[in-house]
Amino acid sequence: MKKYILIIKNVWSEMTTYRLNFALWRLRVNLQLLTMYFLWLAIIPTSGQFGSYNQSLMLTYILGGALLSTVIISSRSYGVGDHITQGDLSNYLIRPINYFAFWFAQDLGDKAMNISFAIFELTALFLILKPPFFIQTDPTFLILAAICAFVAVFLYFFLNFLIGLVGFWSPEVWAPRFIFIILITFFAGGLFPLDILPAPLYEIFKYLPFTYLIYFPLKVYLGQLYLQQILQGIATAAIWVLILYLIVKFVWNRGLKLYTAYGR
Amino acid sequence: MTAKVTQTAFVSRFGAAIFIIGKILRFAFFLMFLLILGSKTHRVADYSIFQIIFVFATFNIVDTTSQFFLREVYRFRYYVVSGEFDYFLTKPLSPLIRSLFGGSDILDLPILLLSVVFIVYSASQIGNISSPFVFLYIALLINALAIALAMHILVLGIGVMTTEIDHTIMIYRDITQMGRLPVDIYREPLSWILTFIIPVGIMITIPAKSFFGILSPQLVVLSLFISAIFLIASIRFWHFALKNYTSVSS
Repeated sequence: MKKYILIIKNVWSEMTTYRLNFALWRLRVNLQLLTMYFLWLAIIPTSGQFGSYNQSLMLTYILGGALLSTVIISSRSYGVGDHITQGDLSNYLIRPINYFAFWFAQDLGDKAMNISFAIFELTALFLILKPPFFIQTDPTFLILAAICAFVAVFLYFFLNFLIGLVGFWSPEVWAPRFIFIILITFFAGGLFPLDILPAPLYEIFKYLPFTYLIYFPLKVYLGQLYLQQILQGIATAAIWVLILYLIVKFVWNRGLKLYTAYGR
Repeated sequence: MTAKVTQTAFVSRFGAAIFIIGKILRFAFFLMFLLILGSKTHRVADYSIFQIIFVFATFNIVDTTSQFFLREVYRFRYYVVSGEFDYFLTKPLSPLIRSLFGGSDILDLPILLLSVVFIVYSASQIGNISSPFVFLYIALLINALAIALAMHILVLGIGVMTTEIDHTIMIYRDITQMGRLPVDIYREPLSWILTFIIPVGIMITIPAKSFFGILSPQLVVLSLFISAIFLIASIRFWHFALKNYTSVSS
């Protein structure tokens, strides 16, 4: 366990070494957040309604989505593909370390750093913008939303890892990741709540893993779902985690048989 | 040089195909988002849904055209960090021209064409098109590209001085993303800042408004003036950065 804690610490050291890089990254994250915030502020007037959202709920969704993205989407495991294509994977295969746990620890370090900054930035934005924020006071919804976010962390980890494994078959690891980022941007619900989509499309989305990354935990936080729907959602997300874990394991084992440490 | 870069882009057909599909998907998804907005609100601020689509397509024209021609800026950090930039300085070609136009991105071409299709389509739906407004729109688009060029020169200058390129250019791109919708839908002072300080509005909203025939002549003049100021200031900054270049990487 100690070695994984050390990996988390190393991520922090690395991020604080390249401070300008990290600061500019955070600036970008906040610019993207502000774009969506002001867009929705313009679309829904103070007393207006958009689907099942009034201005307060929508702005809470957008700001909450920014915080959740930091918890769930921020990661380091995008480097798996580069490890494979550049032959760096060999260094880890011969070490007494679990390669999956190594990346998960890296992700945790990255998330912890990003969360600490996001809390500070969002507090500043709250003080400046004074948005009409919806605060959930029912502990049941808060606990269930936290559980959904916890499951989403694993869901994203396995999705992200799986994309990286393309490296076993093709040196083009960034092209599939480009598509993946676009899909996540739109289908995870970070830009808008997925239930504003046409009903037939939304019904399909309920069965996709992306829905459970940002949209579903936020929807639970807002208290817009019945308990049965929440439990169904958590079960669906958990099944996706299991399916993705099995696929990742299978692809990893197949990939290792092809791996030639090319580049080393 | 452009032919060489184009060949390189297609070395991996798989990668090229995936990137093109990704760009088209991004375009299509945002368009879908706009259509959903339109289906529920019919108008966003004072704009009809086809006017909003026209602005979005205009944004894509400006954004994609500048990326198409100025893609080399995205590779500039490598040249500075590796010391290769020193070779640019010794060659009989302006290092600024080399750093700006050293490589185009052919993979942006489908989005460029798609944007033109949507401009024509949404314009036909808006109706009331008059030739003077079309010419003014094209002139202001060229003006927008001059501002985009100035922004890229500014990024190169910062790159020479700090080696920081990747995030700076992406911050520019993130800010311009606000122009996917008319900037006057945002509240003040954001709308004013996006028009006159970071001239996203001049790059995208103002050309579109000229096409709709709702732009005052004063704003046209002001747009040209601001773009000239940006271009002159960015070139001066580039020369200032070059004078302070220490060539430590080589």
